[in-house]
Amino acid sequence: MKDTQDILRKLVSSSPVFTEARFHKRRTHSVSVQKGLVKQTKASLTVGVGFRVLVDGAWGFSSTSDFSEYSLAKTLKSAIECATSLSQLKKSKLSSLPSTSLARGEFILDGYKELEGMSLKDKLGIVLQAEEATRKHSGTIQTASCGYNEIFEDKHIITSDGADALSLLARSEIKFSAVASHNGEMAEGYASSGKTGAWSCLFQEKSIESMTNQTAELAVDLLRAPKMPGGVSTLILSPAIVGLLSHEAIGHTVEADFVLSGSVAKDKIGQKVASPLVTLCDGGIVPHYANGGGDLLVDDEGVPTQTTLIIKDGLLNSYLHNRESAAIFGVAPTGNARAWLYSDEPLIRMRNTYVAPGNDTLENMISTTEDGYLVEGALGGQADSTGEFMFGAQKVTRIEKGKKKNLFRGATLSGQAFDVLSTVDAVSKEFHLDLGSGYCGKGQPAKVDAGGPYIRCKAKIGGVQE
Amino acid sequence: MSESFKKEKRILEESAAKLLEFAKKAGADSAEVAASYGQSTKISMEKQEYHMASSDSGFQFGVRVMRGNKQGFASCNTTDPAELKEVALRAVEIGGFSPDNPSYGIFAAPNVPSNAPKTTLNESLMGLSLQTQKEFIKLLYKESTQDKRMKVNEGSVDNSSHLFLVTNSFGTHQLEMDCAFSWSLMGMAKEEDVLTSFDYFSEFTRDKNLIGEKIISSTQKFKNELVRSLKQGHGQSYKGLVLFTPRAVLDILISTVAYHFSGRNLAEKTSRWNLNDLNQKVLNEALTIQDLPWQIDRRGFATFDREGTPTRNLMAIENGVLKNFFFDHYSAKSTQQVSTGHAVGAPSALPSVSSHCLSVEKGKEALKDIVAKTKHQPGLLIVHRYSGQADPITGDFSGVAKGAEWWVDGSFAFSPKETLISGNVYQALGKDLKAISIETEVIDSGEEAPSFLIDEISVTAG
Repeated sequence: MKDTQDILRKLVSSSPVFTEARFHKRRTHSVSVQKGLVKQTKASLTVGVGFRVLVDGAWGFSSTSDFSEYSLAKTLKSAIECATSLSQLKKSKLSSLPSTSLARGEFILDGYKELEGMSLKDKLGIVLQAEEATRKHSGTIQTASCGYNEIFEDKHIITSDGADALSLLARSEIKFSAVASHNGEMAEGYASSGKTGAWSCLFQEKSIESMTNQTAELAVDLLRAPKMPGGVSTLILSPAIVGLLSHEAIGHTVEADFVLSGSVAKDKIGQKVASPLVTLCDGGIVPHYANGGGDLLVDDEGVPTQTTLIIKDGLLNSYLHNRESAAIFGVAPTGNARAWLYSDEPLIRMRNTYVAPGNDTLENMISTTEDGYLVEGALGGQADSTGEFMFGAQKVTRIEKGKKKNLFRGATLSGQAFDVLSTVDAVSKEFHLDLGSGYCGKGQPAKVDAGGPYIRCKAKIGGVQE
Repeated sequence: MSESFKKEKRILEESAAKLLEFAKKAGADSAEVAASYGQSTKISMEKQEYHMASSDSGFQFGVRVMRGNKQGFASCNTTDPAELKEVALRAVEIGGFSPDNPSYGIFAAPNVPSNAPKTTLNESLMGLSLQTQKEFIKLLYKESTQDKRMKVNEGSVDNSSHLFLVTNSFGTHQLEMDCAFSWSLMGMAKEEDVLTSFDYFSEFTRDKNLIGEKIISSTQKFKNELVRSLKQGHGQSYKGLVLFTPRAVLDILISTVAYHFSGRNLAEKTSRWNLNDLNQKVLNEALTIQDLPWQIDRRGFATFDREGTPTRNLMAIENGVLKNFFFDHYSAKSTQQVSTGHAVGAPSALPSVSSHCLSVEKGKEALKDIVAKTKHQPGLLIVHRYSGQADPITGDFSGVAKGAEWWVDGSFAFSPKETLISGNVYQALGKDLKAISIETEVIDSGEEAPSFLIDEISVTAG
């Protein structure tokens, strides 16, 4: 790697145009077990260098997995030729990126060595035990599975305007599933955890036993649960659901590339978009929460990450930027440029997206809800340029006169994000990042995390029409 | 084939052979290598402007080994012999500590039948210059932005050539070469304060002569649908008939039911059907679903699968009767069946099971006659795209209909906002399937389906 770094520094410094070189080595290990059988155990290595250049406002990109000086030079030349050719078509020509504070040095997140030091064999053994515990939890569990995945990311970003940053991080995730069956009815329960850091971080909030129990019990409980009626209701959203709302429904609409395309957040900086109780952030590191699944110290343009206040006390405060969009908006970049592989260009992506904690408690929020639902467990979702969102919830519990009542099968929540956030009337102190094993898709995958406190709002849920 | 591509083909085959040899020397009883080489040039646009031109090439190698009944797997993207040796050792090491699973195995594959169509490295596509690609991105740009209401977030043209090889220690050696030109758009329409939801399409062709006309026709269709949904309104909540267009049929219904065709899910008993259900009526008798991997103009084209097994056209459902499951070697061995050539996956992943290119047979009624059947309702929701989930176990689905249409008295009225739909896939493809259209559509150059009229769907208006 040392030789490659030296060659990259030499090529970048002698390049006639703005040049960004990104060395990226990714190692992944995965194991999965279902019904007592190992479905897969695998190791994967992907390594290469991507060059991105800017010529007369046009970007050129080329990548290689051959680290010889000849091949690296040829790849850079190819990127310059691509950009030069495209620049003839460009109408708006960004001649260079404005100077900004760029990262130099080593940026290593905790847990890398510890996770690397634990053998895959030992991890497989734990996964086998966890799957067995889930499956044997109840006689109605028909099948169970447990999967574990870890990624080691080694990156070195060198730019012609001064970035020279080596970053190392390790991410791991574990997920559990159980299918319960009775009299022809089936129901599935899930649980997962995804963190940046050592193996022990996966279980910093819930032990492995607690997660296997939770998975199995949820499948069994949902088996007996009826489907939900549809309509607009008062909802208390769990941190996982708040995370999905923050990521899918707000986060994507404030990514500056979507803003420039005309997303619903365009021209809304400084405007009221949510209840004054809502402050919503995206950060490379979350100040009051360790080992977020989207933790990142330096982005893929060499910009140090920061905590960006997207919504501050209900007012839209900032978009999420890479260097190019920051130049267009005349603001500083927010460190949101991320690429999945060496062969991918960096795009504006989120990291850890969350609503900041408030002063209420979940207990008090339930006891002061006359008629509503507690919505828990994120099942994934999507949002649109309009801010219209949809996401699935595993578990919905009826609340009547301040008491938790019966359980319903999972349901779909939808609405317009800013409208829903404007209805927030309570925000809890309890806070978790809880996207589990979630990834964000935007042409390329990105490991992100999201969460927040419990919040109470109004949104559409369900449902079945009679 | 260009000299440089011949060289890459040689490197691919030599590296795969080395990997097999390293695995055997490291202690594997048998080994299989899946490998690919791809090169592409791509030009993208973003935010109504040309954005980036890129040029990429790269290899992928995955080695699967057996040590008795233990399986190991490792992959890499380099051709460095030292790295290939490491990867082989890693796969064998994993095979050493993995528990026994007697259903795993590596097998010799028969040759691809001589009557199978073959893709070729179309010289005219391979030689397409960046200058010519610029003409195509200009065409895509012009067609997608000349109507000022259109807002293109992303778009691209991509010319790629590809080699895919499966070889194993039993002498299997299957190689496929391919060259294709693809383009895609993601965007929305905006007029004053009215904003549509995002829409997306991706098309491709292996015929250079068709690129221009297909870019124009696909972009026109995309634009017309988006602009149409600028006329927005609020529909009504009801439970009743909903029309699913071909994209919705495939995305919501067929993708869910296809879970149960998988031999892996059969083996794991998570399929709703078992071998005793073969030749039994399991869905509405109007339904016929086939997997057609030999259509050369489709994305799912394949003459052999991820394990080297030749593919073939295969009936899954014929007139509502279950005719076949889809097997790879693992699921076939688990259930005492034979592989149907449905192992899929990239070289960097272990084989899994999936269809190649599903096709739903057309029905007997014209769309206009189907719509006429719904006039007793206060309105008809027509679903194109869907943002939501369907649980393959229960069949329950619930999500937001995107870019949907609300029809009244047989005519388009408006595009309804924030409309949730929910129902059950198996009831929808059973007793609640009321009509299938004669008209079919190929979605994103891949799967094909007609429109379905389905009853008992819950619609929750925004």
